[in-house]
Amino acid sequence: MATQSPSLSSLEADVLVIGGGSTGVGVARDAALRGFSTILVERSDLADGTTGRFHGLLHSGGRYAVKDPSAARECIAENRILRLTAADCVEDTGGLFVSTPWDDPEYGDQFLEGCKATGVPAEEIPVAEALRREPRVNPDIRRAFLVPDAALDPWKLVWGCARSAEEHGARILPYHRVLDLEVDGDRVVGAHVRNERGGEELRIHATVVINAAGAWAGQIADLAHCTVNVRAGMGLMIAMNHRLVHMCVNRCKRPADGDILLPLRTACVIGTTDVFVPDPDKTEIRQEDIDLLLDEGEKLVPGFRQARALHAWAGVRPLFEDTAKVAETRDVTRSHALLDHSSREGVAGFLTITGGKTTTFRLMAEAAVDAACQQLGGPRPCRTADVPLAGSESHSLYQISHRLAEREPVPQAEEIICECELITRSRLEDTIKQRDTTSLDDIRRLLRLAMGPCQGGFCIYRAAGILHEGGHVDQAGANQTLLDFLEERWKGVHPVLHGDQLRQARLDDWIFQGILDVEHVPA
Amino acid sequence: MSYDTLVVGAGLAGLTAALRLSERGQRVLIVARGVGATHLAPATVDVLGYLGDTRVVSPAASLPALSNGHPYGHMTVDQLTTALAWFCAHTASLGYAGSPGENLLLPTALGVPKPSAFAPRTMAGGDLRAGGRFVFVGFKGFKDFHPTLIAANLARAPLPIPIEARALEVEPPSSRRGDLSGRVIAGRFDNEHLADWLVSALEDRVEPDERIGVPAALGLRSDAPWEELEQRLQRKVFEVATMPPSVPGIRLFQALSGALRSGGARIVFGVTAVGARTNAGRIEAVEVANATGTHEYPVTSVVLASGGFASGGLELDSFGTTRETVFALPLIGLPEADRVRFAPRYFDEQPLATAGVATDDSLRPVDSSGRPVYENLHAAGAILGGATPWKEKSGTGISVATGYAAAEAILAPAAQLVSEAVR
Repeated sequence: MATQSPSLSSLEADVLVIGGGSTGVGVARDAALRGFSTILVERSDLADGTTGRFHGLLHSGGRYAVKDPSAARECIAENRILRLTAADCVEDTGGLFVSTPWDDPEYGDQFLEGCKATGVPAEEIPVAEALRREPRVNPDIRRAFLVPDAALDPWKLVWGCARSAEEHGARILPYHRVLDLEVDGDRVVGAHVRNERGGEELRIHATVVINAAGAWAGQIADLAHCTVNVRAGMGLMIAMNHRLVHMCVNRCKRPADGDILLPLRTACVIGTTDVFVPDPDKTEIRQEDIDLLLDEGEKLVPGFRQARALHAWAGVRPLFEDTAKVAETRDVTRSHALLDHSSREGVAGFLTITGGKTTTFRLMAEAAVDAACQQLGGPRPCRTADVPLAGSESHSLYQISHRLAEREPVPQAEEIICECELITRSRLEDTIKQRDTTSLDDIRRLLRLAMGPCQGGFCIYRAAGILHEGGHVDQAGANQTLLDFLEERWKGVHPVLHGDQLRQARLDDWIFQGILDVEHVPA
Repeated sequence: MSYDTLVVGAGLAGLTAALRLSERGQRVLIVARGVGATHLAPATVDVLGYLGDTRVVSPAASLPALSNGHPYGHMTVDQLTTALAWFCAHTASLGYAGSPGENLLLPTALGVPKPSAFAPRTMAGGDLRAGGRFVFVGFKGFKDFHPTLIAANLARAPLPIPIEARALEVEPPSSRRGDLSGRVIAGRFDNEHLADWLVSALEDRVEPDERIGVPAALGLRSDAPWEELEQRLQRKVFEVATMPPSVPGIRLFQALSGALRSGGARIVFGVTAVGARTNAGRIEAVEVANATGTHEYPVTSVVLASGGFASGGLELDSFGTTRETVFALPLIGLPEADRVRFAPRYFDEQPLATAGVATDDSLRPVDSSGRPVYENLHAAGAILGGATPWKEKSGTGISVATGYAAAEAILAPAAQLVSEAVR
């Protein structure tokens, strides 16, 4: 435990939240809306952990209806709430469960029963109707079911919650790493954190510390000598260049690898695998897992292997297991776990909320703040199920065409910095100022800059130039963020590089190495 | 209509081979899916810019240091020099300057001094080797050129004599379009005579001893706007290559394709060479697919200048198999089946980087025993294995040199037969 050092600056709050994924910002927003003074710290950027690396499915609950009914019930309830309160983050794609020739069509009966029992609306439709809606789906499917799955934009959601929390007085501190928890007797009273950008350290004192570090929750709990058994279940995903499907298409079978294909903005994503990894910071993309996803994709959409694969990435699910050993990570419940360390280990002022999934982040936050209220002078009602995020007040759901719609009246009005994602210069400049960031990767998460087919081939030079012109970085900083971005991008690009996407990558090589000669840029 | 030589690909290598054959009296047909990398590349002739991490001063002197399988390994320095001189003579309207003996150092749009053996006259004035004062001029509203970053980087770049560099921004006369490419601006120089505007915007803001760097967008039809600017501003003005499409590259394409067409050669776009009818180790006809079906073109010789992965001459499928897309030729430089296809770090040596066809000294693709696959098939440009064009900055040099050499090999069958007999 760190010793008190009076030279450090310090902050005070009712609630300190550790972790800036969906759960953490959800907790911070919930606490702030209930009137608690709140601080959130995140070691990296918001949504840089699991939340920003999941497939983007807003579950209807259908996927869990048979084997995890309580998770299914939570999903459908939260799905309905988020369609109202976070409407601008949700694209109402709908979900389609299909029985391919590799799936037992009789599972469909179990599926319907499970949906009925858990309150997930599900309707069987004729195969011809399913194929009319999704012409690329395998024409040999035998059954098809509609459910209210949707596509969720995790970055928009997390930043929306963070801004809302800030409007209600919370302080959100990305790039602040917890070095230690401060313990006074049998209480956690705060944390000692370091600003990873500026280097300065500070102390944050709080009545309640809420550990929302997801797959990293065990590491945080260790700092207070508490035990949280979270396993990291690594899931691999591949983004494809086009919307090969318009709905979230699931295989109608017990959840397994590579059985979801869903549209995400202008691309689509196939997921996922599930492999236990000992360290959530060490994920490795293996060729065999890529091949598995491509082969499963081929079963859902024939020709999948010839389609352009843009990018592969891995996220880690936080899988909480309290007691019994579980052999397969898929068999761990996907419901969440709220741990009050005062009843578990006699450490007061310290709660852990982990497990769960992005779809149920709001519910997890509600549970955590309810528990925190007990240590903060009594219950206060949760408001997150009713108060919409900024941009979602009218409850109108996100439309894929919105950026085009904004531009259409004046199609030539302004420079477009990222053609793939229709990002204008003013939008980029506003974001740089608002976020006060000089990292192209941070900007990517906010604007989806460089996430389209060319993977930054054109826009990244432009964005680096604009950062420099605006005086946000010096020449060395501009070069570094450009080089960092190219390396970071390559991590996700090279595991799935083939076919036409390799041609695209070679065009990017032309630009960066042939035209700009980026590798010889002065330091 | 029958042709002596069919060239697959209308990039720099294909155009060079075709023009050399055509001027020597051959009936030449180019078939291509579209334009080639001329429209991407800066239009400089980069013979050899780097050996490993070392910047090359003299490409000619450095050629022997290249590995054996490199495309330049099939020619002598004299042959290379002849090819480059021929190229400059046949692009006289663009005024290429330089020499294979000493690289120019031209600023990139990121402010990096990049070694090139030759540059068109619109770019050559940017040569940084002699030091001096430079001003880089951005056009407001043009996203593909960032003069502050260029100037700041060049001021710190390793150069024989350090330079002084600063940035300026000028605002072009308003137009309906707010989103401009270099190509659009170049068109405005042609059609709206933007030289007037640029002269008046710069004459009071540039010192007498400053050289003026602008985005490579000074006219699409010709480089006349550049010439006018130099004369009226009484200073060196130079274009800096930026994002595709490349305006100087389009001028180069126009110069070469124009010379070809006026010499009677034919270029057909929008078609794909898909295979060959062969007999006794020779290609008798090339199969070419268009929207209506596949047609055969009987030929005496073939030049394969279809490019590498970037242009579709090579393809890697999702199972990890690489193939040459037209004639299914044997390839070198492929990682073994159980090895990863790509290195985990972007700037590391990439296992697939040198993939391509291997050839004999007549640039005929060979099989693993070193024998030509077809007696009358030659290869040129990025389809050739053994080079790392982006890393070593050799792509356009290889295209010109091997395009010319492939043509020479076709034009000198007698000499070839002699060498066969000796073997």
